[in-house]
Amino acid sequence: MTSTSQIASTCQPTALVTGAGRGLGLALARALLAGGWSVVTDARRAGHLTAALPGAVVVPGDVTDHAHRDALASAVRGIGRLDLLVNNASDLGPSPLPRLADVPLAAARRVYEVNVLAPLALTQLFLPLLRASRGTVMNISSDAAVEAYEGWGAYGSSKAALDQLTAVLAAEEPEVAVYAVDPGDMRTEMHQAAFPGEDISDRPGPESVVPALLRLIATRPPGGRVRAADLTGSTVR
Amino acid sequence: MTIDFVLSRRLEATEPPPVRDGVRLLVASPSGLTHARFSQLGLFLSPGDLVVVNTSGTLAAAVDGDRAGVPVEVHFSAQLDDGDWVVEVRPAGASTGPVTDLRPCEVITLDGGAALTVGRPHPAGQARLWRARPLIDGGVSLFLTRHGRPIRYSYVPRSWPLPEYQTVFAREPGSAEMPSAGRPFTGQVVTDLVARGVALAPITLHAGVSSQEAGEPPQPERFRVPEATARLVNATRQAGGRVIAVGTTVTRALESAAAPDGSVSAGHGWTDLVLGQARPARAVTGLVTGWHAPGASHLALLAAVAGTGLVERAYAEAVRAGYRWHEFGDSCLLLP
Repeated sequence: MTSTSQIASTCQPTALVTGAGRGLGLALARALLAGGWSVVTDARRAGHLTAALPGAVVVPGDVTDHAHRDALASAVRGIGRLDLLVNNASDLGPSPLPRLADVPLAAARRVYEVNVLAPLALTQLFLPLLRASRGTVMNISSDAAVEAYEGWGAYGSSKAALDQLTAVLAAEEPEVAVYAVDPGDMRTEMHQAAFPGEDISDRPGPESVVPALLRLIATRPPGGRVRAADLTGSTVR
Repeated sequence: MTIDFVLSRRLEATEPPPVRDGVRLLVASPSGLTHARFSQLGLFLSPGDLVVVNTSGTLAAAVDGDRAGVPVEVHFSAQLDDGDWVVEVRPAGASTGPVTDLRPCEVITLDGGAALTVGRPHPAGQARLWRARPLIDGGVSLFLTRHGRPIRYSYVPRSWPLPEYQTVFAREPGSAEMPSAGRPFTGQVVTDLVARGVALAPITLHAGVSSQEAGEPPQPERFRVPEATARLVNATRQAGGRVIAVGTTVTRALESAAAPDGSVSAGHGWTDLVLGQARPARAVTGLVTGWHAPGASHLALLAAVAGTGLVERAYAEAVRAGYRWHEFGDSCLLLP
C-alpha cells in the first residue's frame, strides 16, 4: 500500500441513500450532492426525485424487492465504487399506531422486512465495496429502539434489531465504520403518521440533523449507536 | 512492414512440451533454413558468441476480482515507481480482451479483503492497461503468491503450475508473463554452450502482459543491464562475435542501453523503446525467439534485428512445417 498515489485523492466518493423520496433521506442526499458526492438513491414514490435531486442516480423501487436491490447494485456498478451506505428507508407500520395486542402480523412482518432485513441484504450486497473503500454504513434508527412507547412495538423492536445488527456488524467488520443513528424527532411525513392529526410543527426539520450526520461520516468515530443530538451538542430534539 | 500469415489453431501449443529442450528449432540465416531441436542450439553458434538471457521471474499475475457483483480477472502487468500497478481487467472465464467499461475511481475487490482503485489508462492513448492503486495488506507480491495464478490465454485450455512458467534463468520475480524465449533452455543446453566457448550474460527486464493487439503500442517495461553484461557485449562486438538476444525482452533491454554506434552501457529504468523500421537494432546481431502471433509488435522487433525478408522466410517455413506457436511452443534462431 502506498500513500503517494494520486488515484484515491482525486476520486469522488459515492453514497447510496435508501428512501430518499422525502424527509431525512432527501435532506441527506441533497447535502451529499452539494458536498461533491456521487449519490444513488431510491424511493417507492420516485417520480419527483430526479427534479428534487439533480445529479443523483434515482432507482425507483422498494428495498424489500430483490430485483430492486439488484438494480441498485447495477447503478452502483455504473459508478464503480461505494463509500457510504445509508439504510434510511423505513416502515412505521399502521397509522394510527396500534398496540401490540392489535398489530396485524402482516404489518409487523412488513415493518421487519423494510427496517431489518432489507438493510441486512443491502449491507451484504455492498460489503465488499465498502470494505475496499474503508467505507461507512449508516443505519437510521430511532429512540423507539430503546424506549418503550405505547403503540411503537413493531417499529421500535425492528429498530432495536437494526441497532443490534449494527453493533455486531461493527464488531465483525473492522474496515467499515458502522453506525446506528437516532436522528431524534423530526417534522416528517413519517412522524406525522405516528401522530395523526397532531400539530408537529414544533419539531425541527430533517435538514437540521444533516450536519451531524455529515460530521459523523467525516470524523469516523468508533462504530455503534449514536444520537444525532449528542453529535451536534445542540438542540436537535 | 507487415509480416502476415494465418495462424491456424493446429499450430498453437496448448500445453508444455514433454521436454523443454526437445522443442523444434528453426535456424534462419542468409544461407538458408535448417530444422533442428533446441538441444542442438550450440551447433549453430560459434566460440566467442555471447548469448544474453533475461533473469526476470514470472509472477502468478492473474487473480479473481469482482466489480460490484460482476466477476473479472485482473492481470497485474507492472509495478510503477509510486507503488501503483498497471493492470488489465478482463471478464472472468475465457475472455478474448479487456472489459470495455472500466472507469477511473472504480473499485475492484479481490480475494482476502484486498482491493484496487482504478486510475487512468496507462500509458495514455489506449484503454487496455490502466493504472490502479492496490489496497492490499502485506503488498502485491505476497498477495499474488497466495492468490494468483499464471496468466493464461484461451489457447491453453487448462491451468499449469507456476514452475511451468519459469525459465531456468529466473532469479528476480517481476514479469507478468514468462519471458518465453528462454523457456527451452536447460542446464544441459547451457553447459553445452559453455563447453563450446559460447558466453552467457544476464539482463533483467520485467515483461508486461502480452495481450496488446495491432495498433496498441508496447507498454513501458522496467529493465536493468548490468555493468559486466555491457562490458561483455562490447568486448564480443569488438572481437567480431555475435550478440544473441534470447527473446524480445532481452533485445529491448540491450537496445535501450545501446548508443548509435552499437556500444552498450550499463543502465536501468523504464524503457518505452519501440524497435522497427524506424529504429533498427544497433547492438543485437542474433535472436533466439518463440513464434509470435500475426500482428504482434514483436514481429516488427524481429525484423528490426533480422530484416523483414529473413523473418518472412522463417515464418513461412514454420507455418508450412507445422511449428508450434506461443509460450509452450517451438523456437527460432535468427542469424542475419
